[in-house]
Amino acid sequence: MSAALIEQQAAVWLMRREEPDWSPEQEAEFAAWMDAGMAHKAAYWRLEHAWRQADRIAALGLTSGESDGIGEGSDDNIVISETRDMVSPTADIVALKAKETASPRRLWRPAAIAASLALFGSTVAFAPQLWERTFNSDPTIAVFSDTSASISSAPPPDAEALTTPIGGRKMVRLTDGSRIELNTQTLVRADITNQRREVWLEKGEAYFEVKRADKLPFIVHAGNRTVTVLGTKFSVRRNGDQVYIAVVEGRVRVDESQSGEAPRTTIITGGEMVVAQGLSTLVTAKQAARVESNLAWRDGMLSFDRMSLGEAAAEFNRYNDQKIIVEPSAAAIRIGGTFRASNVDAFVRLLDNAYGLHVEEHDGQIVISGE
Amino acid sequence: MSDDIALHGWFCREVLPLERALTHYIRRNLRDPDAVTDVRQEIYERALLGARRDLPINTQAYLYTIARNLLINTARRAQIVSIEHVAELEDVRHEVDMLETERHLNARDELRRAMAALEQLPPRCREVVRLRKVEGYTTRETADHLGVGIDTIEKQLTNGMRAIADFMLGGSGRIKRPAANTARAETSSSATPAKDVP
Repeated sequence: MSAALIEQQAAVWLMRREEPDWSPEQEAEFAAWMDAGMAHKAAYWRLEHAWRQADRIAALGLTSGESDGIGEGSDDNIVISETRDMVSPTADIVALKAKETASPRRLWRPAAIAASLALFGSTVAFAPQLWERTFNSDPTIAVFSDTSASISSAPPPDAEALTTPIGGRKMVRLTDGSRIELNTQTLVRADITNQRREVWLEKGEAYFEVKRADKLPFIVHAGNRTVTVLGTKFSVRRNGDQVYIAVVEGRVRVDESQSGEAPRTTIITGGEMVVAQGLSTLVTAKQAARVESNLAWRDGMLSFDRMSLGEAAAEFNRYNDQKIIVEPSAAAIRIGGTFRASNVDAFVRLLDNAYGLHVEEHDGQIVISGE
Repeated sequence: MSDDIALHGWFCREVLPLERALTHYIRRNLRDPDAVTDVRQEIYERALLGARRDLPINTQAYLYTIARNLLINTARRAQIVSIEHVAELEDVRHEVDMLETERHLNARDELRRAMAALEQLPPRCREVVRLRKVEGYTTRETADHLGVGIDTIEKQLTNGMRAIADFMLGGSGRIKRPAANTARAETSSSATPAKDVP
């Protein structure tokens, strides 16, 4: 069979797998097709990989000739090398799109974004005619822009504060029926009423299971990123000025909210992760399984897959008072496995036994070195 | 023995970034320009089959060895190729050096390339791809939005996917259709040069 014919078949599979009505039966058919020959795998993997690479255009929302803004950001040395699993988007898609807009490009203009953020905070968010109206009538923009200031700034003084100590974990049910799970050393403020559902992740990491509420989006503020959803499961983590967002299911929208320039909007779906820092937003090449292991903390576990020892130690240090220091001689070693977050001893013993690394304890710190 | 996930990861991480250079190499050493994608596909297939047991340590050398052997066999079968040609095929070392640049495609380049890929699609096809990537439309929604049948959207989208993939991997990004599927796949097919149809 010609390469072009196989590639065409692969393209049809890839397209269908992205559709929301993709079924387990279809997945089985697809798996059978993939297993029918290495030529099929070669064609499909190649197509999927390259098609995913082009995802970046979604982050800008540009169409033609508009290349301004590409030169910004500090993501110069990021190389994307793996493909992601496609997970079917859920019904949330519909809500996150302004379908009726005649010229969708205007959606991404600064004024439009300010207005849309404001709209998300009101009970009438997502109504198509309002999107239109907001774009076209200046007085409306002015009115909504005022509200937007209060939305993207600090939480109200009466917002409920939820915290966990180092090594702590807490599950909280909000009044709207949504759930938040707080990981170690986390501070979250929540403002949940009939009119708005907003949460500020001040530090740490939290997992959200958002209950769907008609026309009332759930907004998570984390640094200069705003995550907007209707009903879905995802986690957000802050680490300095970096924000990580991992989506378990559904679809979330991430806006870069406070740069004063044209905001960047990224839409990510189940199985995907975003790493945001400054103006850069990177949709990392992840698989659903990776997102899962990323959330192992919900069971008190840490799951590493070919992670450098330096990074793995930093993960452990988030959960424990007794810190692990990794000398440069050992920091680059790749390790994998699943560990109880609170059990530093087991982890260190493994490094000693299985990797033959040198382990020493000084002043309550564990120092690991290569030789 | 490497499993599918490892094989997949290796293929995307190590092999695909070499596609541009590999394609040049094939094109230069193959008499029939229409056969380039078929040969490349066969190289990928063999590379994957051979890597099932153990992933190769030096992917470049591995891939070029496969390519060279395949091209030499093709050339011998053709029986009209000079000895010099085969000798040239033997010397693949200089190919390897020029490949590194392709690997270091950074995020900014990738975005720029993605936009250029979109840019060179025929207008209708571009709009379908844009609605998919930027707006996240399903094929049904796209069909409704543009007021055309879902079959048309599916054809344009799969064509667009293939063209964009080709462009992202360093190709021309022109839509290549299998012979069985050429008839009136889309109205704006004038952008497809006839020689790309096998």
